[in-house]
Amino acid sequence: MAISVDPPEVSRDLCRKAGYTFSVLSDPNAEVIRRYHLLHAGGGPEGHDVARPAEFLVDSSGVVRWVNFTEDVRVRARADEMLAAAKGLR
Amino acid sequence: MPEMSKNRRNWAVWAGFLLALGAVLCNLVFFVNLPGGRAIAGLSMLLSAVALIFLGLGLKRAFEQPPVYRGKILSSMLSFVSLLLVGAAVFASFSARTIPTSAGAPQTGQKAPDFTLIDTDGQPVSLGQLLAPAASESEVMPTKSVLLIFYRGYW
Repeated sequence: MAISVDPPEVSRDLCRKAGYTFSVLSDPNAEVIRRYHLLHAGGGPEGHDVARPAEFLVDSSGVVRWVNFTEDVRVRARADEMLAAAKGLR
Repeated sequence: MPEMSKNRRNWAVWAGFLLALGAVLCNLVFFVNLPGGRAIAGLSMLLSAVALIFLGLGLKRAFEQPPVYRGKILSSMLSFVSLLLVGAAVFASFSARTIPTSAGAPQTGQKAPDFTLIDTDGQPVSLGQLLAPAASESEVMPTKSVLLIFYRGYW
């Protein structure tokens, strides 16, 4: 599932347009984003705080089994990389 | 041997222009999210650097050997456009890398902090609830795992 600072309405719009079927959660005050140390202060298009891109695979015991932090917003985790990590858990 | 009156094409300026164009186009490749994205990011900078070398060479030829190489004005104009392209490519590379380091973020082997957030239907969703085994009478339940994707937002 995905998390951003976008309000639910914006995320709903995104899901409808992109056809996403996974949960997209809203963290408008960036509380969880801060808890995960992922705040990019002033990183939004209008200078608002956003999450930095980051992906975590969490197993059933709540332990992180795979992470990906990009150092370049142009370089993101690819779906096949994330699927490979998920398959590696089983 | 060609006569001196038949001026040669100043290929270095053109090479610089094409390289600068390539450096900018590298940035568009990211929208496709091909494998090897990091290499493409580096390639953009490399092409920019080589473009500058060729532009310098081309301009030098155009202005120092006008009888041999034609097109002082064309060289200058192409160089100007190429410089703008290189500037755009370099700016894109630097502005794309302003992500904070996130040293305190959970690492592999660490516990992912629990949270509850609202989904697109306004329903609260917690990580613990997603990881908990499904309330089913079936004995063999697949192990649950959650892929958390933090993203910058939709704009």
